[in-house]
Amino acid sequence: MKTAIVVGITAALLGLILILGAGDDAGPNAAVVIGVMTGSIYGLVAVGLVLVYKGSRVFNFAQGEFGTVAAFIVFILVEQIDTNIPYWAAVPIGLLGAVGLGLLMERVVVRPLMNAPRITLLVATISFALFTIGMEIILFLPEAKVLRPMIAATDATGKPNGPNIFGYFVEPQNLIAFGVLILLAVVLGYFFSKTDLGLAVLATSQDAFATRVVGIGVERMSRFIWGLAALLGGIAGIIYVPISGTLTPGAMTTGVLIPAFAAAVLGGMTSLPGAFLGGIVIGCVQSLSNWAGFNYSLTIGGVVKPLSSIIPGLPDVAIILVLLFILLARPQGLLGSEA
Amino acid sequence: MTATATEVLETVRAEPTERWSPSVQGWVARLLVLGLIFGSVLWATANVPSYWADRISLAAIYAIIGLSLNIVLGYVGQVSLGHHGFVGIAAFVAAYYATQKAGCTVDTCSFNTFMTATVIAALSGAVAAMLLGLIALRIRGLYLALITLAYGFVAERSIFEIPFLTNGGAGMPATRPDGWATDREFAFLCFFFLAGVIFVDWRLLKSKVGRAILSIKHSEAVAATYGINVTAYKVLAFVLSGLFAGIAGSLFAFHETNVVSNNFNFANALLWVLMVVVGGLGNRIGVVIGSAFFALFPFLLLLIGPLEHFLRDTLHREPDYFTIVIGSGLAILTLIQYPGGIGEQVAPITRWLGGKPFSMHPEGHEKHKAPKKQRSGGLLAKVGLHKSQVSTENNTEELAALGRAVEGSKEDDSE
Repeated sequence: MKTAIVVGITAALLGLILILGAGDDAGPNAAVVIGVMTGSIYGLVAVGLVLVYKGSRVFNFAQGEFGTVAAFIVFILVEQIDTNIPYWAAVPIGLLGAVGLGLLMERVVVRPLMNAPRITLLVATISFALFTIGMEIILFLPEAKVLRPMIAATDATGKPNGPNIFGYFVEPQNLIAFGVLILLAVVLGYFFSKTDLGLAVLATSQDAFATRVVGIGVERMSRFIWGLAALLGGIAGIIYVPISGTLTPGAMTTGVLIPAFAAAVLGGMTSLPGAFLGGIVIGCVQSLSNWAGFNYSLTIGGVVKPLSSIIPGLPDVAIILVLLFILLARPQGLLGSEA
Repeated sequence: MTATATEVLETVRAEPTERWSPSVQGWVARLLVLGLIFGSVLWATANVPSYWADRISLAAIYAIIGLSLNIVLGYVGQVSLGHHGFVGIAAFVAAYYATQKAGCTVDTCSFNTFMTATVIAALSGAVAAMLLGLIALRIRGLYLALITLAYGFVAERSIFEIPFLTNGGAGMPATRPDGWATDREFAFLCFFFLAGVIFVDWRLLKSKVGRAILSIKHSEAVAATYGINVTAYKVLAFVLSGLFAGIAGSLFAFHETNVVSNNFNFANALLWVLMVVVGGLGNRIGVVIGSAFFALFPFLLLLIGPLEHFLRDTLHREPDYFTIVIGSGLAILTLIQYPGGIGEQVAPITRWLGGKPFSMHPEGHEKHKAPKKQRSGGLLAKVGLHKSQVSTENNTEELAALGRAVEGSKEDDSE
């Protein structure tokens, strides 16, 4: 069943590209390429959400802020202190900052509320996210900043650096996102099915008490999960912020968190491969509905109007419709199961 | 002896428990304090500078929003992250009606138009909330939080971008009604509405409807076995919440005098949730105080001259920036350390004002004075009871309190 779903969605995406044929920069196949690229970012954030849900049974609203904080640290290093600091040196420091934030959150908010009702913990993660956003506003002011991408989108002559896929020039940063997503999918998949530590994490999420009885430190597992989730969030933030173009306080929460939730729920909330797949599907839904909004129109009262002006925010509405449909029709998601 | 096989005993009436009631001087003192509190708020509104009055009316609007959220969050026990949707829809509807349908201009708008706009806005808020409530019947807990989030997201990205509502993005004007147009007058108008909302909330919670809604929070299954129509009351709670949110939205529209979609964003909705948590879930007075605190906070910072100088001139930061940090920090503290929020902290005072003896303990001063013979740890100490107290003869109340505490601690996580 699950294999069938994965194969089906992949085939549908490929088929869509082939049937629609090679077109120009604004064609539907380019929209699919754009969708896969944005979808990788959603997938990265969604994996962090799923990880925390597996470990602590809560939706982590601070997942986006791990990314924003990492991006801010990289921004300070490569843009503010010295533009000569190489990117590869700044990224680990940014990720370290994100992991530190994750561990702090685990200690301050999650551990005291480990046995509280889940709704309480949910509100606590919201508080922590807002606290982080507030600190970012105080430290960096609300004005938008620009963080340059790891590899410039165009070279000195203005020629695009990235490859041309179906008439759409993919930015190198997008390729990095996609590559990281694939890599993480393999590594995390192996980690949670084959290693002792990964299995211990899964065991903790299923029955914390029984896990403690067999001698696994539940607190240690919780720390590990939040640290790992923060690392994933940090990676997503550092990759996403240069693509989106602006770095504002709460950039990841306003821009990525809600589509990432849709992706995680679509994948089943407990399934890591599901989160990857969900991210890509959500990205494609968004970019295809955006494309459709500009290319299809209805005639209302004799006036031809494109869909995008009839329904404002069409791509966002499409995401939410997918989310609603999944929640009401198939709450376990595409690939979901218990732990 | 009579011939009956069983002896008929004389009926023994339970001795009526003596209810403590304040003396005449006690009542006078309570009325004086109450009058002092309300008097100083009204006096302040009438005498502070105009921009302060403007902020006070915002505090009253926030308090109405807080009470609206409190119904969902405090009484029903569900999180709503989409309240900016309800408030925003109502604000746009009110402004649209006043400007486009009733012909208010930038200079003048009749009071009747304002009232009609508010009623329409309240109804639209209620309808918007009912749609969400119908979904909430199928989904509970964390996933419902996600649905409300999605609802707010759609409202923010789609509904608030509809050109005829937003006047093509420039904003829909909403002129304040004649006679209530200055900041000070409008603040009093907001107070009237706040008083009305508090009254409705108070009376409703005391009624059959209120008890039914509260019982659903504890256990839907138990409520259903007692013949409570869980479905209907849940939707009703959402509708009521939307009604209050609609009133707040209309007031907000006329407060701003020009409604733009930027006023209602995700961060606002989150901050509103936090102000209810800080105020104390399900605690009416606490929620009002907490909401007003969140609205007034940047201004409270300005009251302290040296602090303002430090923030503005040394740090170069606006006081507004600190609201989010302080508010969310307070919320974390409330969740972890003081689950009762502000409401619980001021409870001794509110209980005293309500005609009970002044006591730091909810059970009253008798229990407070009970000797603490032994110190015992564990759950009993946690809920404020000691073993010596529990084992006394007249212990039904303590046992009931203990039962409530235990029930609360193992509240299901409603997957």
